Amino acid sequence: MNFKQCGFILFLLFLGLIGYSQTNKPIKPKADYSQNADGIVEYIIESVAENLGEDFDYTEMVDRLNYYRKYPINLNKTSKAQLLELVFLNQVQINNLLTHIQKNGKLINVLELQGITGFDLETIKNLLYFSTISQPTGFENFSFKNMLIRGNGDVLVRYQRVIEPQKGYNIPDSSKASRYLGPPDRIFTRFRYNYNNNVLLSINVEKDAGEQYWATSGKKGPDFYSGSLYLKDIRAFKKIVIGDFALQFGQGLTMWSGLSFGKGADIFTVARQDLGLRSYTSVNEFSFFRGLATQVNLGKFEFTPFVSSINIDASAVFNPVTLTDEIGSLQQSGLHRTASELKGKGRINQLVYGSNLQYKTRQFNVGLIGYQTTYSERFAPNDAVYSKYDFTSNHLTNIGLHYNYNIKNTYFYGEAAHSVGHGFAFINGLISSLSPAVSMVAFHRNYQKNYQSYFNQAISENTIAKNEKGFYTGLQIKPSKKFEWVSYFDMFKFPWLKFSVDAPSGGFDVFSQFSYIPNKVTRFSLRYRIRDKEQNSPLSTNINFLEPYRRQNFRLEAQYQVNKSFTLRNRVEVMAFKEESDQQRYGFMAYQDVNYNPLSSKFSGNMRLTMFQTENFDTRIYAYESDVLYGFSIPAYQNQGIRFYVNGRYTVRRGLDFWIRYALTQYSNLTTIGSGLDEINGNQKSEIKLQARIQF
Amino acid sequence: MKLNKLLVVLSFLCLNAKAQVNTGPRITAMGGAGVALQDVWAAQKNQAGIALLTKPIASLAYENKFLIKEISTKSAVFAIPIKKYVLGASFQNYGINAYRETQSGLSLARAFGPKLLTAITVNYHQLQISNYGNTRAFSVQVGLQYQALPNLWLGAHVANPNSSKYAETTDLIIPAHIQFGGSYTFSDKLIISTELEKILDNKADFKTGIEYKIIKAFAIRGGVSMNPFKQYAGFGLALENLLVDFGISSHPILGYSPQISLGYEF
Repeated sequence: MNFKQCGFILFLLFLGLIGYSQTNKPIKPKADYSQNADGIVEYIIESVAENLGEDFDYTEMVDRLNYYRKYPINLNKTSKAQLLELVFLNQVQINNLLTHIQKNGKLINVLELQGITGFDLETIKNLLYFSTISQPTGFENFSFKNMLIRGNGDVLVRYQRVIEPQKGYNIPDSSKASRYLGPPDRIFTRFRYNYNNNVLLSINVEKDAGEQYWATSGKKGPDFYSGSLYLKDIRAFKKIVIGDFALQFGQGLTMWSGLSFGKGADIFTVARQDLGLRSYTSVNEFSFFRGLATQVNLGKFEFTPFVSSINIDASAVFNPVTLTDEIGSLQQSGLHRTASELKGKGRINQLVYGSNLQYKTRQFNVGLIGYQTTYSERFAPNDAVYSKYDFTSNHLTNIGLHYNYNIKNTYFYGEAAHSVGHGFAFINGLISSLSPAVSMVAFHRNYQKNYQSYFNQAISENTIAKNEKGFYTGLQIKPSKKFEWVSYFDMFKFPWLKFSVDAPSGGFDVFSQFSYIPNKVTRFSLRYRIRDKEQNSPLSTNINFLEPYRRQNFRLEAQYQVNKSFTLRNRVEVMAFKEESDQQRYGFMAYQDVNYNPLSSKFSGNMRLTMFQTENFDTRIYAYESDVLYGFSIPAYQNQGIRFYVNGRYTVRRGLDFWIRYALTQYSNLTTIGSGLDEINGNQKSEIKLQARIQF
Repeated sequence: MKLNKLLVVLSFLCLNAKAQVNTGPRITAMGGAGVALQDVWAAQKNQAGIALLTKPIASLAYENKFLIKEISTKSAVFAIPIKKYVLGASFQNYGINAYRETQSGLSLARAFGPKLLTAITVNYHQLQISNYGNTRAFSVQVGLQYQALPNLWLGAHVANPNSSKYAETTDLIIPAHIQFGGSYTFSDKLIISTELEKILDNKADFKTGIEYKIIKAFAIRGGVSMNPFKQYAGFGLALENLLVDFGISSHPILGYSPQISLGYEF
């Protein structure tokens, strides 16, 4: 090769570079990341989902984040509502960003973000996973032709089962005992069709383990169907949902269905970020609506009327006076495996209608919501004193007023709610960035003992926002990009009795976490949490009296990258539980994660080995586990043993993926696992999941 | 009802068996985490904190305990710079007519350079219980503050290290404690302070507080302490030479104790 040729090649390369740099990327889909692939979605979920149950379905949020992963938000063309969907941004940050764009014009370089108050490097890094900066494209011109070209859909099928035989499946039909009527497989199918975030069709079909695929009597087919058609931006109709939908307004005191968060490591999520009307896309078989809803925008007003009629599960109690059945309790598990569970299935009709009217400017936002709930049966009264203020009618009217207001570095928010004929509930709080390094959140709540709402998910220490007063303060200190210190302090009182608490009681919850993040891929964190509450003393006396009990968690976590393909993570957690009349009890857990995520390979995966040893139920330890895409598990480690799981993903070609997950728990101090119909004879329990997805 | 609550409160105080030193509404509103703070009220907290005062300041505070009319703490502090030293005086009167604790203190504080502050204090304690009589005692306190970084002050304070007691036989003791902590100034608007305290024969306590100046003349404050878990809040107003501060603490069982102070800088 002579010099001339060399020069020519260099010239070509140079042209290529110019050509590359000039390519104006429209909204080009980024590579398809799942929560397993890069951990960012997983990290966000784990930081916000501290207190949710074991089997909660986070699909809606993962869907949302994955969508923006694939089709990043254009920060120059975004709205407050859209930024709120990225759960990790707080209200002050969002407001500052929008104000910055309004004042200084469109963002030209992502580096500009660093100049906006409240944006530390970690936040910017997270934000850039889900957003880009480009000039507005304006291709909302909807047509059916475009819909076929630009639209995309996917079908996902998942199969899972516990491998070991469980007692409930091996009881012969002839015996009259309660048994699982269906096979132990769980089968889940979902279909999505999305056009440019303007049309979203989703269908979920699910059969839980133990449920019949083809019911022998009554309705045929899988146990749970859910579907919705979601249309956006049709003239003044900002949103229309036909089918299953969720509603989230204000702080969730009056109306909130679907996902919400409690207190956790992300302190700013205690201020609920309401998304209004959404289509319902999860498989949790409760807390959603079925019917028709729309959001109409008229200038600065948003009007959201909704109507829903759905059959829900409830146990029956016979009332000997009126000779009718009444509702014993609502069943939220969505499991219909035994004859008695099937008996309660869809027994009650729930009719909900109402609307939310909101006045919105960038700084100020106030909304008024009112709705009625009617059940086809009355709720049966419970004689226990702690249930004295429970709802016992079949008809309830709720009204609520919610607001938020941004001024300078502070965001004020709150909600007042009233259940007509019953009690009131209030929450008021603020988020403020006190200095570039320090942000705080504080809120006060007062939920009366007789406040009633069946769609109440406001932040609370109790499972629902009722019978509680409290004051919460949280502080986040980030003196540099390498250090972060987050703490919160919460004090609460329960003015009325609760189950197993035969007097007014109270307590506190304090959390503190220190993180050291030396570089992008390494993170060390140390966490401490202490919770004090009161309950009936286990000592047998003539009169029950309360005694305090204390839960303490210590957690040490390290995450680091070995090379471009392998990331490792370790966690050690100790739980200490102390009742006043008993000695301190301990639980211990340690795990090792290995994450394999090469840049260019069809395979990716991860595995974890956990060792745990806990003295009793009270010292159980929860940990979020990686799962197949849209699969979730947050098991409680209890007793003594080892748990292992492995997740694998194989991308056959673009648009066709397979997942496999195998999990095994081996107990060293048990001969049977579980109880009742779930009981396994032996000391090990294993589960397999298989999943396939086709995108088109 | 009122009497019942009074009895409950008194029995609690007896259980705790410790005199409550009122550190003024500013430090109280910051959870009591004041061992590394500088203020005239340091004369009741960590006396080293008065060593950098350049003008005489006096302040009076009135605290109502648990919103019970009969129980109150009245306290006063005064500090005056004299050459290389700052002289501090403090006075506190606590209780009801039938039971009264009084504490008077004199402190001598000195700065060794701009970074190291020290102080020594002598307190005179009096206890009066009607129909039982009077008793008195002396105790000593030593304090230290050090500027470790431009924004970071560290503080340490020891009270009654020789465990001096009242002359008459009584179960009531003069608490011996050790406290240390830090205060960090994030900006001219924001200070966060922390303190670890161990009182002899009592559980260790952790306290933390925050002060944020919305404008130069107006600050809001908040804090918590862990043992027992208490929350605090307050605000302060600085009008020329006049200082008005308000603070409130919330005990999980006994309820709220508000206090107010009025200070003047000469």
